[in-house]
Amino acid sequence: MSEHRIEVIINGEPVTARVPARRLLSDFLRDDLGLTGTKRGCETGICGACSVMVDGRLVKSCLSLAVQADGQPIDTIEGLADGETLHPIQECFINGGGLQCGYCTPGFVMATCALLAANPRPTTDEIRQALNGNLCRCTGYTQIVESIHHAAEKLHGN
Amino acid sequence: MRDFDFLEPASAAEASRMLLDEPEESRLIAGGTALMLGMRQRMLSPRRLISLGRLEALRGIDFDAKEGLRIGALTRHAELAADPAVQTHYPMLASMAARVANPQVRNQGTLGGNLCYADPATDPPGCLMALDAQVVIQGPDGERRLTIEAFLVDYYTTALEPGELITEIRLPPPAEGDRGHYARHLRTAAEHRPLVNLAAWVRQRGHGCEAARLVVGASTVVPTRVPQAEAYLMAHPPSEATVDATAELIASGITPLSDARGSAAYRREMVRVIARRSLAHLFALPLE
Amino acid sequence: MSESPIGRDTPQVNARAKVTGRAQYAGDIQLPGMLHAKVLRSPHPHARIRRIDTRAARALPGVKAVLTGADAPDALWGVHHKERRILAREVVRFAGEEVVAVAATSDEIARDALELVTIDYEPLPALFTPEAALAEGATGIHPGRNNVAHEIAFERGSVEAGFAQADLIHEATYTTHAQYPGYLEPMATVAQVDGHGRLQVWASTQSVFLARMRLAAALELPVSRIRVMQTTTGGGFGGKIVEDANSLIAALLALKTGQPVRLVNNRLEDFLGACSSLPERLTLKLGMTREGRIVAKEVTILADCGAYCGLTNEVMHVSAMRSDNMHRLENVRSHAVLSYTHTPPHGAFRGFGGTQMLFALNSHIDTMAEKLGLDPVAIHRLNAIQAGDTSIHGWEVGSTGLMECLDQCTEAIHWAEKRGRRDQAGRRRRGVGLAAAMHVSGNRTIGNWDGSTVVVKLNEDGRALVHSGECDMGQGAMTMLSQVIAHELTLPIEHIQVVPPDTDTSPFAIGTLASRVTMSGGHAAILAARKAKAQLLALAAELSGHAEETLTLIDGAVRLRDADNGEIVADLATLARQHIWRHGGEGLQVSATWDPQTRMHDDDLYGNIASAYSFAAQAVEVEVDTETGRVEVVESFVSDDCGKAFNPLAIHGQTNGATVQAIGWALYEQLQVEEGRIMNGNFADYTLATADAVPMLASGIVESNDPKGPYGAKGASETAILPGAAAIANAVHDAVGVRITDLPITPEKVLAALRAKEDADHA
Repeated sequence: MSEHRIEVIINGEPVTARVPARRLLSDFLRDDLGLTGTKRGCETGICGACSVMVDGRLVKSCLSLAVQADGQPIDTIEGLADGETLHPIQECFINGGGLQCGYCTPGFVMATCALLAANPRPTTDEIRQALNGNLCRCTGYTQIVESIHHAAEKLHGN
Repeated sequence: MRDFDFLEPASAAEASRMLLDEPEESRLIAGGTALMLGMRQRMLSPRRLISLGRLEALRGIDFDAKEGLRIGALTRHAELAADPAVQTHYPMLASMAARVANPQVRNQGTLGGNLCYADPATDPPGCLMALDAQVVIQGPDGERRLTIEAFLVDYYTTALEPGELITEIRLPPPAEGDRGHYARHLRTAAEHRPLVNLAAWVRQRGHGCEAARLVVGASTVVPTRVPQAEAYLMAHPPSEATVDATAELIASGITPLSDARGSAAYRREMVRVIARRSLAHLFALPLE
Repeated sequence: MSESPIGRDTPQVNARAKVTGRAQYAGDIQLPGMLHAKVLRSPHPHARIRRIDTRAARALPGVKAVLTGADAPDALWGVHHKERRILAREVVRFAGEEVVAVAATSDEIARDALELVTIDYEPLPALFTPEAALAEGATGIHPGRNNVAHEIAFERGSVEAGFAQADLIHEATYTTHAQYPGYLEPMATVAQVDGHGRLQVWASTQSVFLARMRLAAALELPVSRIRVMQTTTGGGFGGKIVEDANSLIAALLALKTGQPVRLVNNRLEDFLGACSSLPERLTLKLGMTREGRIVAKEVTILADCGAYCGLTNEVMHVSAMRSDNMHRLENVRSHAVLSYTHTPPHGAFRGFGGTQMLFALNSHIDTMAEKLGLDPVAIHRLNAIQAGDTSIHGWEVGSTGLMECLDQCTEAIHWAEKRGRRDQAGRRRRGVGLAAAMHVSGNRTIGNWDGSTVVVKLNEDGRALVHSGECDMGQGAMTMLSQVIAHELTLPIEHIQVVPPDTDTSPFAIGTLASRVTMSGGHAAILAARKAKAQLLALAAELSGHAEETLTLIDGAVRLRDADNGEIVADLATLARQHIWRHGGEGLQVSATWDPQTRMHDDDLYGNIASAYSFAAQAVEVEVDTETGRVEVVESFVSDDCGKAFNPLAIHGQTNGATVQAIGWALYEQLQVEEGRIMNGNFADYTLATADAVPMLASGIVESNDPKGPYGAKGASETAILPGAAAIANAVHDAVGVRITDLPITPEKVLAALRAKEDADHA
């Protein structure tokens, strides 16, 4: 069936690839580009472990086709740190206990990036609402929410 | 998912022609959030996906005080929720759009796609029906308009004919005295899809309602207006007694779904509760 | 001077890899020539396999193997009963049982191939409930056996005499449902046969050694031909111990194809392939004096293990007797029966049978307190076992912080003010509820030993490499081991590297279950580090000429004990290099094993199976919407007696995670099984709590400093899940006066109970 040449910008780097029509964006990132930080946790668009930014919008990469991303910038968890220097959100998740097994973590970190870009100092309830497209089974969410508060403070002050 | 061809028409007319080439084997894809679920589980296996991604004409939101609101079919839920004109003139619609599914799906899913999928357990159709929206449909023979009532035919079924697609959604202009409230009720706080939703819209004149559109969604096969409840509401000044009676009429006026997420009796009971609470909220009456 | 990390909030030592997306889970591994596997499962709860036609699937380009039961070894696998084949042969016993496995060059091709397999099934009558399976004349689900998978019966004291002394006797039946573990990483394995013919397996597992043992038995291979390596594991919660077939199938495909094979369950498959927790029906009869002293306890349990019993024998055992040890009891009787059915198998899950019984017991205490006009807290206090006590089953309780736990959580929730608010008007009512719990820290019944071994190697730069076979699934075992070694060797925690478990290089370990890793692994780490320290001091003494007893280890260097200036006698890097030079090339490497001095129970189930016992109490406030039946937890406080909190950040994290799992079990999660088929095996319909569905949680720590715990610590990952469901049920009762005894507490049940109450009140 159809194959497509796509041009995307992954974490700032232009990438050209050929993909079959049925390649999901998540599989393209993971299996073709080796960016395995984006996780697969369900097939029903619920768990959010595959969350990435497409053209600045937080989306679930398991719910779109690679070919649909043609021409757009894509940001994944791998692009967040600046070399060896972690992004403040990453730092805060580590220090605040915002992760345990880590499998949902890339999705939560990306969701946090999107939240804090739109709402620099969210309230606790705004954070809880903004995370309802992501599942975590380990933390019970409390330390994730606290980590996000710390990150907001660090990034945007009091 | 099973393999398929991915086609990218440059215009709505071309998309329409492509649909007609192999109508049984073709599906349109906009945001794709719902379609991907069905295809990944191999419940849907179209051989051709026709992407609307390049159709810029299907994007954008425009408001005109005389013409009302035009929402391009490719408008994403998040864009609808954030649009200043929508927030100002149709706050009920903005509030609904801000609560659809979850943030990622709101950033990806489109209003047109949502309507075409005709999933009963979703938010936009009922809300649009209460706002008297129409869908603008482009087909091989040109354009036609349908009300939401006429557009939604059955469980996962719309009035779209072969070769047709939605290009935009139109809402009439708002008037003085318009009020609306959209409520979605989740069976438990952890569920993802509404068990019941209720969209209530009224045009108030003096102490009464000159017009009312009361729509139940998620617990019926398609969103359902309840004319007898609307008539009652228009005939009685808003009060706790009116609200109670209207809610009863709404609950008794629908044919509820019955499935694993809720029996018909339970859904009807929830419709009554949510209707009463919504109307009380709409008229700023005490809830207790 | 660097401070000891013990007792301090310590971020996970492997967190950096997790937040950058670089942690490697099994499903992230790609090997050259790697194939992708898919499994075809039975749609029938019970059927004879007449014929399987795989020709079309094998002919599909890209397909490398299509295996059926005929291709799998004859060996049967299972924990207590060897009863299951890697791929079903002749008969399938549950809807979801693995029948055909495919390996292909891509995931999608493997999936395409499954659709080309045709299987001719002859559906057979199925037994869906324990009642049907245990009925007279019911067919045996496994050949040559009846459907009782396990049975426990015991009596201590005289229950009849106990009830005769009671002022109040109350009997009720409670139903608990199966909970899917719901770890975010579905089960995943990569397997390959290396150039020497050895099977290499990278797996998401709680135990590499149990996994290796099982692979060897099921594949009929010598243990030494197999190497199992744990990859970063995305949660386990009991589901990744030894009860699933994922790694067995991946290994079988690797052996048959000669190529690397990756088998990653998708979520739908994981619901079918993983064991959910054991559903039990528990009938509890308690006799109390009017002061609330429990004078007799009788327990009857009927549990449904599904088609294969896995670890559920042990799970039911816990339900039948563990809660007895919380109290000072003299008369108890228990009879528990585990039944096979033609339904998906159940198994180990966090709490391991404790949640089921503690739901019943805490609900029961709450009910009886009301009847007696007592505060349930007073009943918990009056009956609580005390430090120094030996319980009715022989458990030697070295420490208990339960009283402090009760104090903490009742204070936090404002129990005195909030309990029994009878004056509430309106459609939303609030109530508070409480429950208490006990758990083990380790368990001798696993193999009549419960020890752990830790190996410490000192590298030439003076930093330590630590080998342990105990697995970290996210709960923080690696961090715990790092903390201990850093503390003992006075090194910064960054200088400790814990090597992921690998059966070729790690010392033997049972693995991560029964809340045993801090207890056994922690002790072994202390012993190993102290052994290393002794060697360092001896070597430093030899090198410097100072007497050994004048030397000590401070801040990662050997110094003179009395020196004010802390002058360094030798740093660890120097000592590590000197050790190599002076021992003919042998680096400083020590191994230490710690086996708890516990006692396996006897035939009468009397013994002392864990070195220490942890306790917890939880108080919650709920709001009940009397019109919709919705229950929401608005506040929760869990107080955990973990002996000594090595890492409060991790303890609170474990507690919070357990709390939400308990809320999920009580309110949100429900497997819908119809005629043996799981109908909602996906996250859209089986709803785990999201962040907006639970409150911000609070928790407290009680440090009872157990004399047998490492630095006083006890297990802390499971206890916190135990009290939640009962605390919620009790709070619902406090709010609206209805008692829900069958979980989950759904809106429909609450509404029905409210209506029944209204009818009764008006009658």
